[in-house]
Amino acid sequence: MRILLKNFGKSFGAVNVIENLNLEIHDGEMLALLGPSGCGKSTTLFAVCGIHKVTAGQILFGDRDVTHVPSQQRNVGVVFQNYALYPHLSIAENIGFPLKIRKESAAEIKRKVHEMADLVQIGALLDRRPAELSGGQQQRVALARALIRRPDVLLLDEPLANLDAKLRLEMRSEIRRIQQETGITAILVTHDQVEAMSMCDRIAIMKQGQIVQIAAPMEMYDNPVSDFVAGFLGNPPIAFVDGALTGSVFESSGIRIELPSAAQRNGGPVKLGIRPENFQPEFPQKVSGEVTFVESQGRETLYDVRLDDGQILRSIQGHAVRAGVGERVSWGISPDNILIFDEKGARL
Amino acid sequence: MNGSKSLGLMLLTPAIVFVLLFFVAPVILTAVFALTNMSTATGITGGAYQVTQSSLRKLAESYGQAELANTLAETRYTVNEEGLEAIAADGADARLVAEMRAKLGGRSFEKRRDLESAIKTLNSRPRNTRALKALSDTFHRSIVNERFESADAMLRATTNLGVALSADQKSALADATYTGWVWTTQNFTRMIALPDTQRTLINTFIYVFATLAIFNTGFALVLSIATHYMPARPAGIFRAIWLLPRISPPVLYVLLWKWLAWDTGFLSNFLANFGVAPRNWLLDNPTNAWIFIVLINGFVGASMGMLIFSSAIKAIPGSLFHASEVDGASRWQQIRYIILPQLRWPILFITCYQSLSLLTSFEYILLATEGGPGGATEVWALKTYLTALNNYAGNLEYGYGAALALVLVVVGVVLSLAYLKVFDFKTMVRPPRIEQ
Ligand SMILES: Nc1ncnc2c1ncn2[C@@H]1O[C@H](COP(=O)(O)OP(=O)(O)OP(=O)(O)O)[C@@H](O)[C@H]1O
Ligand SMILES: [Mg+2]
Repeated sequence: MRILLKNFGKSFGAVNVIENLNLEIHDGEMLALLGPSGCGKSTTLFAVCGIHKVTAGQILFGDRDVTHVPSQQRNVGVVFQNYALYPHLSIAENIGFPLKIRKESAAEIKRKVHEMADLVQIGALLDRRPAELSGGQQQRVALARALIRRPDVLLLDEPLANLDAKLRLEMRSEIRRIQQETGITAILVTHDQVEAMSMCDRIAIMKQGQIVQIAAPMEMYDNPVSDFVAGFLGNPPIAFVDGALTGSVFESSGIRIELPSAAQRNGGPVKLGIRPENFQPEFPQKVSGEVTFVESQGRETLYDVRLDDGQILRSIQGHAVRAGVGERVSWGISPDNILIFDEKGARL
Repeated sequence: MNGSKSLGLMLLTPAIVFVLLFFVAPVILTAVFALTNMSTATGITGGAYQVTQSSLRKLAESYGQAELANTLAETRYTVNEEGLEAIAADGADARLVAEMRAKLGGRSFEKRRDLESAIKTLNSRPRNTRALKALSDTFHRSIVNERFESADAMLRATTNLGVALSADQKSALADATYTGWVWTTQNFTRMIALPDTQRTLINTFIYVFATLAIFNTGFALVLSIATHYMPARPAGIFRAIWLLPRISPPVLYVLLWKWLAWDTGFLSNFLANFGVAPRNWLLDNPTNAWIFIVLINGFVGASMGMLIFSSAIKAIPGSLFHASEVDGASRWQQIRYIILPQLRWPILFITCYQSLSLLTSFEYILLATEGGPGGATEVWALKTYLTALNNYAGNLEYGYGAALALVLVVVGVVLSLAYLKVFDFKTMVRPPRIEQ
């Protein structure tokens, strides 16, 4: 089911949280709503499922305008950030709750609950109460409850935020598997870019109630529209260097780089975005500086290099440690992958 | 004893003193009073011995000494040493005194005429009739309405009258004429025997059950759930309005109800427009009286439940309501499947707590109907109060009242223990029931 938000706006009293937001989620697609805390992700999600009344614009499911349809009749499944399981009900009752509300027969409910429990692999826990489950198990129950009545839309509000790293990794692929198996249209709210990139077909980046860019993960990584997007994707994050561009030569007090002719500008201040994987010893455009920080991450090692004018570049390299803190190095930048932004942060 | 133990004991002392002084001691006193027949008539200190019309009736009816009672009731004329000395002191003729002592000494006469004709047969009889009358008056003897400090004094006086008593009669007389209180279990046998008791019991049940079910939990639930679904400000105002009866002075509050219900009150005036004859709706018939009693108590009692339930509903995480909404639950289903299950413990608590407080509260009934019409709204606690502490007849029966109160104490303690068992201490220290 396609979801369309048209000129959507939401304010709480005098506080304008979202203004004039347009967003389309294709049928069967899983879209990530990615953005910093407080940018309005949950607000958007709550508007889609009908918990919040919208203050402006329209929400369409397929061709159906659901703007004023109460959430009871929207047929959306929601996994809340804190799971919101019913503490007084058993796991089976929790999962079967939407069906019980619809007054389906007990036998039917039982059958579907077992089917659902098998899908999310919690068949052995059906008699327990939510309090007797681990965070990851609760999360699966919440997912099962959201999916059991075959919703047109699945909304996930930071479902993995409370899980430990290993479980998070496991659940990422699990949710994606279930979403693809059921072919359901889904919105995943998250502020974790790895989650967004690894799980979703497309990513919508939000900032202060606005959508900054919508694109497929790799497309967005390679072609961010602004320094905000570039800074949001990638771990370790991209490094920015301020300077001026004259012709195809970038200059700051610490470095001088020849850029491919693509972007040309005369004397204007710009910002270069250099991802850590594009700053390597073997690359051509050498810059030198002093290593100020070394972090071994096991398979890879992360270096911070302070240029002569004090700006920092980051480099991520293979296993072997090549330089220690305080050492001077002269490493190269791959000019083809440099991102250039104007002083306001827009991509040139 | 080690230090921390004695410190703990010391800290507990005020509580222990309080419990002893304000709970244990009154209960023990009540139990003691319940085993006596204390009343205004007997007083609460020791009594005296007095032959009254009622004690004579008691002597006849309860002790089977009708003959003795009759004898004592009669006014008698007895020629005894006391009387003889009295006439001598009055200046009577010494010969007359000596002759009376010799011939009439120790004799009793039922009527003045008998004594007078006996005196007339004497040689040295007084000449004129006035002197004769004065003389016979001096021998007038009766113990009716006379107070004696001890049983011995009374028995001596009886003997002086010339009434000889057997040992049985002596003890019967002493018992029947004692005006102080005595130990007895009659209060309880009387309580069981009186049809009044059963009526009061039923009244109490109606009062507690109806007020509790309709208002203190039922209406409180309705209020708290209704205000939960209201916007915050109107909900606050609404709750404040329902708190008003609780914080208004009971006397004024009941007065307002009386104004409403009087035959010249609002209700009568209003219904007069529809041709209904004015009447006192409050005391007009038992059904109306009960409706008003339940309303008056319920409007006051609902507020506590409302507050407790409201805060319990507030403690339910908002996401549960959101979740149930997207799961398709209507308001009604939300109430049934989310709110009510989460209110199980508050409801139980209010039911227990309010049943105890209703059981012992009677102030609003006292102010509104005083148990009327005709005892139709007299509940156990009110009956106790009226019996022991305040009634029109003026004879306050402390003993019987204490026995009534003791029943209330026993019921209260039994219920409390049962409730404490329900609210098992272990469940109190368990983590909160509303998780996340
Ligand atoms: N009920 C409300 N009343 C007023 N302001 C609100 C309300 N709910 C949210 N906001 C504001 O709206 C903005 C967006 O909130 P929202 O919950 O959508 O953020 P979010 O993107 O989900 O953040 P997070 O990642 O921290 O969950 C925030 O600035 C928040 O303060
Ligand atoms: Mg949020």
